[in-house]
Amino acid sequence: MTSAAATGAVPTTAATDAGVSEDVAIFSAFTLSATGWLLLTTGIGLLLSFKFTYPDLATNELLSFGRLRAIHTNGTFYGWASVALTGLAFYVAARSSGVHVQAKRLAWLALWSYNIAALLGTITLDLGFSNGSQEYREWVWWVAIFFLAAVVLSGIVVVKTVMARREREIYISNWYTIGGFVFTTILGVTAAIPIYQNGIGQVAVQAFYMHNAVGMWFTFLALGVTYYALPLLLNRPIYSYALGILGFWTNLVFYPVIGAHHYEFSPLPWWFQTLAIVFSVGMLVPVWAGSGNFWLTMRGRWATVRRSYALPFFAVGIAYYFVGSTQGTVEALRSLQTIWHLTNFTVGHSHLTMYGFITFIAWGGIYGLLPLATGKRPSILLVGVHFWLAFLGVTIYVIVLSVAGTVQGLTWANGDPFIASVEAAAPYWSGRAVSGTMMLLAHLIFAYNVWQMTFARKTGDVSPAAPSFAAAAGK
Amino acid sequence: MKRRGMDNVRVLVLSAAGIYALLAILIAIVPGIVLSQSPPGPGVVPFSSSAQRGRDVYVAEGCAYCHTQQVRPLAQDRVWGRASAAGDYAYSTPQLLGTERTGPDLTNIGARQPSDVWHSIHLFQPRALVHASIMPAYPWLFVLKAHAAANDVVVAVPPGYAPVNSVVVATRDEQDLVSYLKSLKQQPLPSPAP
Repeated sequence: MTSAAATGAVPTTAATDAGVSEDVAIFSAFTLSATGWLLLTTGIGLLLSFKFTYPDLATNELLSFGRLRAIHTNGTFYGWASVALTGLAFYVAARSSGVHVQAKRLAWLALWSYNIAALLGTITLDLGFSNGSQEYREWVWWVAIFFLAAVVLSGIVVVKTVMARREREIYISNWYTIGGFVFTTILGVTAAIPIYQNGIGQVAVQAFYMHNAVGMWFTFLALGVTYYALPLLLNRPIYSYALGILGFWTNLVFYPVIGAHHYEFSPLPWWFQTLAIVFSVGMLVPVWAGSGNFWLTMRGRWATVRRSYALPFFAVGIAYYFVGSTQGTVEALRSLQTIWHLTNFTVGHSHLTMYGFITFIAWGGIYGLLPLATGKRPSILLVGVHFWLAFLGVTIYVIVLSVAGTVQGLTWANGDPFIASVEAAAPYWSGRAVSGTMMLLAHLIFAYNVWQMTFARKTGDVSPAAPSFAAAAGK
Repeated sequence: MKRRGMDNVRVLVLSAAGIYALLAILIAIVPGIVLSQSPPGPGVVPFSSSAQRGRDVYVAEGCAYCHTQQVRPLAQDRVWGRASAAGDYAYSTPQLLGTERTGPDLTNIGARQPSDVWHSIHLFQPRALVHASIMPAYPWLFVLKAHAAANDVVVAVPPGYAPVNSVVVATRDEQDLVSYLKSLKQQPLPSPAP
């Protein structure tokens, strides 16, 4: 064990240490795999956006809207974001604990299992095998089980790695990642058992599942990466460790209750919906604790943020975590749901959070940590082009769909014939196709950058003065 | 080295798992058990075998991503029927309430559009009937033949949308789907006690 690894410092002699070099290989492989799924499933997303304007485009059983829609959502969730964030979680667990990734065989097995799930899931949905159009759990059980296996295997890797740590304390990043793997295992089992899922009973379970799959999985993994990478890249301690702990426990207690706000005004019991709305307001506590903590950590260092590859992605991710989650709270209020429920406003919200927050944090983590691991840097110009295309793309996307949703809801409230809501939203759907094109272009550039960070020849030293993590964390 | 409290990974995992498992039981499993036993509403009966097969086609094609099957107790939803009740869904598993209404709600479509012919033309090419519709066409639910056989269900697609020199014949899947859509009719509820 080198002394650098023992203190959690960034390894500058990675190639000389076989254990560290396999850690880098695992991190690279997860990132490459996730990037492949990002390209495929957002390419599909773009095709779907064009079908709103050209409904007879690509009319084919295998390319139809109803089948590809589930492939887009499940593929971005489980092929892209889950795999990218798991790769980051392994690396962060090892570096923050001052050890190698433990149980490396299980890590590789998890990568295979994630990919088998995403591949089989894509094929089966395209052939019409669906677990009932229930968002984010459309994969049939014998596909979903590969994903659950990957989550369990990955969780074991992170837990074993953290147990082997040098420090006494478990660094806050690992609280969040370990939590994410534990919660998602329980969530997957809860959603898979059919005996309490008949008719409206299944609506209750689906409300729980669809929201927890986002907030107890992606949110926890993304916050875990941020709590590690932000202090490291800024070379300053996190503003408040205590706020991080507060965010962990309040997110754990408040989040699981809020799912039913997706079924407001449905036949679910009225008090059950009200409970979900009340806890949606409670979610302001962990969201403001987390995003405020990160923002205060960046305060006064905007010059560093501007010069960095990765920090602008974190800045957007943190800002959209705040905006998207606060929007979620406001959106849950009944008075606003009468207009916005069942409209495109929800689709705008889901992209603000899953893309503006989760995906930007994953990119920040990859641009911030992968070059340190591999010693290979992407072109600063291309990272900048990626950033601006994706940032402007998602911002326009969310704005046009929020307007589209408002217009839909107002035509309904006005008592217009239904087709008026379709005609009124049409211009905004064209705007969505334009912003979607910008986002896909950003992903193509990102894929090239990932290639540069993994397979390209070394381009020279990567920040030889990279700060010690232990020092940055204030230990 | 002995690690206590939240410095011990086992304590962290078990306390987090315990709290979350308890919440999963309270917020998902118990409501699931109770609500799964909702008795069928008055007049709500199981689907016919053809309608049930059609429901599977509806699921496979992802119709629920654009069409809700839930009427809210709001003024703007009165056009779709009365407010939905738990008993309406007693035989509807998997549930197809939906979360987006890009197209019309289908809770009561069987009453609104009782015609086989309308549904078949609409599935073959929605724009043949609703010019501004953005619903996908489903030509793979039909076969094109030069001449119809004796038992074939021929769909009278309007000129301009019909293929040249062939007839449009509905497949079994298409007939089942139409039978499902026609079966979607709300049953009246007894008026509530004053």
